Amino acid sequence: MSQSRPPSKWNWILAAVALVLAAVSVGGDPYRGHVVTLNTKELGMIVDAEVDHVTAEELADRLIQGQTAQRILDLREPIAYAEYHIPTAENVVLGDLVDYPLYRNEQIVLYSGGGIHSAQAWFLLRAQGFQGVYMLLGGLDAWKDEVLFPSLPTEAGPEEIAEFERLVQVSQFFGGSPRHGSGEEFVATPMQMPTVEPASQVPVAKKKKKRKEGC
Amino acid sequence: MMAPFFKYDLFGDEFSLIVAVLIGFAFGFFLERAGFGSARKLTAQFYLTDLAVFKVMFTAIVTAMLGAFYLSWMGFLDLSLVYLSTTYLAPQLLGGVLLGFGFVVGGYCPGTSVVGMATGRVDALVYGAGLIAGIFAFGEAYPYMEGFVYSTDMGAITLPQLFGVPYGLVMLVIVLIALLGFWAAPSIERYFGNRLTEEV
Repeated sequence: MSQSRPPSKWNWILAAVALVLAAVSVGGDPYRGHVVTLNTKELGMIVDAEVDHVTAEELADRLIQGQTAQRILDLREPIAYAEYHIPTAENVVLGDLVDYPLYRNEQIVLYSGGGIHSAQAWFLLRAQGFQGVYMLLGGLDAWKDEVLFPSLPTEAGPEEIAEFERLVQVSQFFGGSPRHGSGEEFVATPMQMPTVEPASQVPVAKKKKKRKEGC
Repeated sequence: MMAPFFKYDLFGDEFSLIVAVLIGFAFGFFLERAGFGSARKLTAQFYLTDLAVFKVMFTAIVTAMLGAFYLSWMGFLDLSLVYLSTTYLAPQLLGGVLLGFGFVVGGYCPGTSVVGMATGRVDALVYGAGLIAGIFAFGEAYPYMEGFVYSTDMGAITLPQLFGVPYGLVMLVIVLIALLGFWAAPSIERYFGNRLTEEV
């Protein structure tokens, strides 16, 4: 039961079109390369609205609650990363960031020592079309000051003391040690950085199964 | 304006459901028009007496492939935002064999069975019942084979990545395969069609 009729003129034309289109594209790559178009106005508004960052305390709370949905990227040098990094953080240097495997629907938290590299990385990722990119405000310095080694002012009110009690727990969760008293003591007892992966209760985030799409 | 529209937030979840329904109807319509509501037409592909399935599918593949490539080349489509399903090699190979087996025996694949049902074919209805029974059986057995279902994970990999060749070259090869198939189809159909009638 042969069904096919001999090819018509149009079959030949369409076949030729397909062949030409395919031949022209040999060597081409449809994936967007490293050249992008930026909506500078939108980026400026995001920065203005201060929705481009998380604070160290917010990030600590998320980790304590066991929220592993976000990817934390440590942008410092591998040596610094090996010495200490925020639990579940992955080490990426800025030069490798644009090719680093990330999904556009992921929440990405960036941090560096101070904050310059994370700000640059934020810009690069936003330019690549990543929406959920956040900087850790103040970088690892802020993480140390606010989470690992929180300090209580000498003349603290009862509210501040109550808040400090909570911070002490947070600090201990991450293997840090809170500081009491005046600034002089800080110098007397140098901060001992916790060993890598202090918070063993936080399992290193395995990549979550993504929402199923397609058929 | 850039596609994919949903990922660029041009419309939300509700509207995307409407779009999905419209695309679904269009898909079903064209399957029916291609004759794929008939189990005879579909199984004839396996006996090589009618290569309509091959021709329709490869026409769709070539059109979509070239279209997606040129749209993203011209900057209308961000292909990196288009979802790629993950390749689990061993379970998908086994699944493909099972599906092919069911295809020959039942006369439909899941999509075409719905087309068959819509045109009132009883065999498609039976196939649909089997489909649902199969879904339940899989669901019940799932805990025992979850490990296998997610084994040999290769990630969301594409042929150009797998073979390390330019994207365009893979396209050219696929277009050549399609055109060669289209060109040879009438002779193949005649050859196997005659052989079948001789046997009968």
